[in-house]
Amino acid sequence: MGKSSFLGPETIALHSGYQPDPLYGSRAAPIYQTTSYVFDTVDEGASLFNIEKGGHIYSRITNPTVAILEQRIAALEGGSGAVCTASGMSALYVAFITLCSAGDHIVSATQIYGSTATLLRHTLKRFDIECTFVSINDEDALQGAIQKNTKLVFCESIGNPGLEVSDLPAISKIAHDNGIPVVVDATFATPSLCKPIEHGVDIVVHSVTKWMGGHGVAIGGVIVDGGSFDWGKSAKHPTLTEPYEPFHGISFWEEYGPSAFVMRIRAESMRDLGPSMSPHTAFLLLQGIETLNLRMRRHVENAKQLTQWLLKQELVRWVNHPDLPENSTHSIAERLFPNGAGSMLCFGVEGGREGGSAFLDALVLCSNLANVGDSRTLVLHPASTTHSRLDDETMKSAGISPDLIRVSAGIESVEDIIQDFKVGLKAVGRLVK
Amino acid sequence: MIIKVNKYKTFIATGGQVFDPKKPTVVFVPGSGLDHRCWALQSRWFAFHGYSVFAPDFPGHSLSEGDPLVSIEEMGIWLVEALDVAGVDSIHLVGHSMGFLIALESAVLLKGRLKTLTAVASATSIPVNEYLITTAESSTSSAADLMLRWGFGSHAQLGVSAVPGMQPIAIGRQIMSDNPLATDLKACHNYSAGKSIAERVDCPSNVILADEDKMTPSKFGMELASILNAKVSKIKNSGHMLPMESPKRTLDSIKSFITEHTN
Repeated sequence: MGKSSFLGPETIALHSGYQPDPLYGSRAAPIYQTTSYVFDTVDEGASLFNIEKGGHIYSRITNPTVAILEQRIAALEGGSGAVCTASGMSALYVAFITLCSAGDHIVSATQIYGSTATLLRHTLKRFDIECTFVSINDEDALQGAIQKNTKLVFCESIGNPGLEVSDLPAISKIAHDNGIPVVVDATFATPSLCKPIEHGVDIVVHSVTKWMGGHGVAIGGVIVDGGSFDWGKSAKHPTLTEPYEPFHGISFWEEYGPSAFVMRIRAESMRDLGPSMSPHTAFLLLQGIETLNLRMRRHVENAKQLTQWLLKQELVRWVNHPDLPENSTHSIAERLFPNGAGSMLCFGVEGGREGGSAFLDALVLCSNLANVGDSRTLVLHPASTTHSRLDDETMKSAGISPDLIRVSAGIESVEDIIQDFKVGLKAVGRLVK
Repeated sequence: MIIKVNKYKTFIATGGQVFDPKKPTVVFVPGSGLDHRCWALQSRWFAFHGYSVFAPDFPGHSLSEGDPLVSIEEMGIWLVEALDVAGVDSIHLVGHSMGFLIALESAVLLKGRLKTLTAVASATSIPVNEYLITTAESSTSSAADLMLRWGFGSHAQLGVSAVPGMQPIAIGRQIMSDNPLATDLKACHNYSAGKSIAERVDCPSNVILADEDKMTPSKFGMELASILNAKVSKIKNSGHMLPMESPKRTLDSIKSFITEHTN
């Protein structure tokens, strides 16, 4: 496993990746708002371009402020390295195409974010990369879906929005037995609650827009390489083991071993596609990550109190959170999330789709919008927004019912969130009477 | 490239270029539990600047077959055999930590073929704590953890990396966990001929030290430099794992010395 720091998570969140700069002693990480970097000599420039040395060339590929964020997240997750991207979706796209080429195949969980499902089902298909969707904790189904040309297994550590927790050790074992890595979107969990690499996962992806940043002010993504997958032994990923012509036939696996995957992303996707994160965005996200562990404790506590309150309300038909025994993956959550399985919860109210709409429209404090993981409490009706592009059958398999209300519990005083929800339920009551 | 040494397939990293034994060849020898991957950010520069690179995985390490060798003397002989198989004639030896002890043993066998000798974070002997050896015998990854705590300097411990986005401690841990660390540590601990061999070295020598090196404190490196009458450079804010921790400054020091002594 790729343990990358001997410091505690709170210390990593504040310090990792940066030491006060020797020129001015700036305690906070500076924003290196520059496109490019001066080469000491022509030979120095040539060496950087040929990956003979580490360093910065152009901010599409690397940037010092972004690198601090990358190193900090890699340390939090226990990875060998990380690459930040413009968004969580671009992080997923880059991770997929670094491992897959035309003619390849992916096995994915059905319970995933709507845009990720569209990427896998439709966008990648245009490039002849096929995907089979399975109930990810069904071990027989997972094994049965893996084909000769399968290059990775994908899931979310906590599925969006059905809140099904993926059994990461079991999934990893099946994938590894078949010589393929596991890519996990851990956005809902953050390394504060669960470090997938410690459970056998090979690559972790986040939308850092969400809890990692926490303030809802910047869009970004990250890919973390666990560093332990033996690309040479599996010999299923020529992008990492075969000579790469643009860099004089380099073999990333032979040359860089535990950092081969990240080096390939840097050399290919960041260079040729350019889904880079801006230094200002990295700076904003660094401010959020400094308090990640404190915030996550509060997020989880508020989610727990909200869940318990909702369970007692007559107009609430059902409540779902992985920490509730009714959740089908509760036992997995207990094992993988000892400090609480996140701050996302779902519930349905009387009146079905209309009841849900009435509840959302009556809220004042909580915001109805298409985001999660803000410090503020957010609510959404997925059937009419994030998952609206899915047909009924696909929506059902993704764990979404028409009445489902998705809540991203914030860190406000929980009494105030409950007060707002009381207003929402009054509106539901007026509708169903 | 793959060559056969004593019947076993042996992986030699060549810095991304086709190996040409006629060129002056920089031979990178890794320390305990390490392999060619620890030299990734030094070897490639030489391969693209007029040199051949020969960075072997010793038997039983990383991509090489065979049983791990149990003494520094055996490793020194093996390295010369590997260089003979590859047909190398003009040799610049660079060794990190235990790798330098191996380089010393090879140096006396190579005689006139050896052009320069470089020690990176090393000394004439490197005794190893018994607890570390015992730990390595029962758990390679636990021993690797101990070494990484001591081996990396304060900046690296705080997650600062010379290569954007990377975490050298995690990379080092992964490499060490894959290799026969206990065997290497015992070989390193048992080696005592370093001082007498160093006194016999007559080629130009270079000693690169780290100011935060807790595993081979720089005072021992200075003693080595005195015996070799070597050029000395000390890298600040870095620990024992110089090739991975301070790759650019380590490369700068190696290349300025070797290029100065290349015809």
